[in-house]
Amino acid sequence: MTSFHLKATPADSAPLPQRQGARARRALSRVDPMRVVLGALALIPTLVLAFLVYKIFSEAWPAIRFNGWSFFTTKTFTMGNLYGSALEHRNGQVAAGGAQYGVLAFVLGTLLSSLIALLVAVPVAVGGAILLGEKLPAVLQAPLGVFLELLAGIPSVVFGLWGVYSFGPWLSRSVYAPISHLGLPWLSAGVSSNGQGLLTSGLVLAVMIVPIIASITRELVRSVPGNTREGAAALGLTSAESVRVVTLPFIHRGIVAASVLGLARALGETIAVLIISGNALNTYPVSLFAPFSTMASTIAAMLDSALTDSTGMAVHSLAEVGLVLVSITLVVNFAGRYIARSLGTNVPIGRGA
Amino acid sequence: MSPTVNLSTGERRPLLRPGTSEVAPTADDIVLSTQHVSFFYGDVQALSDISLDVHRQEITALIGPSGCGKTTFLRCLNRLNDMVPRTRLEGQVLFDGEDLYAKSVRPIDIRRRIGMVFQRANPFPKSIYENVAIAPRANGQRGNLDDLVEESLRRAALWDEVKDKLKSSAFDLSGGQQQRLCIARAIAVEPEVLLMDEPASALDPVATQAIEDLMQDLKRDYTIVIVTHNMQQAARTSDRTAFFTVDQRPEGRVGVLVEYDDTNTIFTNPKDPRTEDYVTGRFG
Repeated sequence: MTSFHLKATPADSAPLPQRQGARARRALSRVDPMRVVLGALALIPTLVLAFLVYKIFSEAWPAIRFNGWSFFTTKTFTMGNLYGSALEHRNGQVAAGGAQYGVLAFVLGTLLSSLIALLVAVPVAVGGAILLGEKLPAVLQAPLGVFLELLAGIPSVVFGLWGVYSFGPWLSRSVYAPISHLGLPWLSAGVSSNGQGLLTSGLVLAVMIVPIIASITRELVRSVPGNTREGAAALGLTSAESVRVVTLPFIHRGIVAASVLGLARALGETIAVLIISGNALNTYPVSLFAPFSTMASTIAAMLDSALTDSTGMAVHSLAEVGLVLVSITLVVNFAGRYIARSLGTNVPIGRGA
Repeated sequence: MSPTVNLSTGERRPLLRPGTSEVAPTADDIVLSTQHVSFFYGDVQALSDISLDVHRQEITALIGPSGCGKTTFLRCLNRLNDMVPRTRLEGQVLFDGEDLYAKSVRPIDIRRRIGMVFQRANPFPKSIYENVAIAPRANGQRGNLDDLVEESLRRAALWDEVKDKLKSSAFDLSGGQQQRLCIARAIAVEPEVLLMDEPASALDPVATQAIEDLMQDLKRDYTIVIVTHNMQQAARTSDRTAFFTVDQRPEGRVGVLVEYDDTNTIFTNPKDPRTEDYVTGRFG
């Protein structure tokens, strides 16, 4: 009897001869190997995350020493003269001459573009999903649902191309240019002919995250007990009132979770934003129409040149940018969890009708 | 004889009312009257030729075996079946003499006058107070609804149990309390008729007793139509009883109304042998 019992019961092990070690073997046979394997598998994502954060942190460490606090408070991000002989020394770290690294403009760009995306996408996605789940006949629901899922799967570079060749120029011509003539603060400066800028990026990001939020919300809407919805109808409530008193209270926690997922996607979106942002460096976004940069797009844009920095500080600093991005994403996630929990009534989500 | 004056067709069809009433009801007596109602889910017929009058301030019980269409019939009375796609009703349902299914009638207006309590309690995911106040507010009542909420909860015999926790979630209540909350919610809009679809089937005997007492109390102001599987409940609580059954036809199983009479007659001296078999427990 050396093999494990998958389901060891006392009756199974009782006939074992009572010699030394039998008790230990019995204890061992009660360990369910399936639990061990699954437990180990469940740990993997946590370990991967910890490992990733550790590696980025250690890559960024020289930059953290070199840049100090000014990294978070300045907007100029330049690698300096990579081909000159002069070097910059600070805190025992060495960088190319004239190198200066500040992340603030990118942080603002990331947060603002994602915020625009969220503000536009959440109402559209939630409204659309409720419409899809409650108002449309079943024959339309299925194909539109598939369409939504397909939209979620389109590579972001395609969205970027669409933004820069079609959507952006149209916005610039038909929306930005007329509005900028009004001379309103935040709505005038920096209009480019192909529309590259903060608002265009935010809107394209919105288009990208609508399918994510909407497809999750659609599932949530489906989980609302039909029985409760009928209760609202039987009281003579209109469908709008029914959405307010039945659907939304049942799904609002899930909407927060879906929005956080969408926001995380927007925060980390790289290539589409790189194409549409206008990639403005060393400047705060001067208006909603003006070019800007995000953390993710800057890392992608600069990595190639950064690798030629013989001091390595450019790559270290980009790693530090990545570290800030990861931190913000984590904070957003935890904040979302907190909000979802604080919204919590004891609504029994998913208890069918 | 039932009123046929308001039929939009103007046609006077003979009313095949099964059973007889001792007293011929006046038009005023009758709140709801279905005339030759047949109901279809897609191509499947669920009800065939149901004609039945519901009398004011009485409790009318609908009994019968599973699948006989009692609940479907009940849901025809407030047009809740409109929510189910591809359904169709033939015949007429008159509410205070008006055609309930006329083109000009909005289901929402009907449902504000004909309330419903469901088989399983279905409170809204809101506070106890909000559950009761939502419909009156949606109907345009402004200002302080505290009195109305208290009154409705009192009439539903729930006030004493919840008065100190009106702000807490309706889901914190027990099943029986939730069902009484749903009754309070329904009567807060002062409907004329209250439809009850097996309101006590998921409740324990104590909660069931509370609901039945409540029905007797509500009868003074409302007309109640109740679907029940429980024959003792029908016998205890109702004034009139309609017995439905399933008719095996070549095209399928269809719900039909076998007999409709005073509850006493249905349970002691039914005219149709099928009714007798059912109420004496030889069937179903």
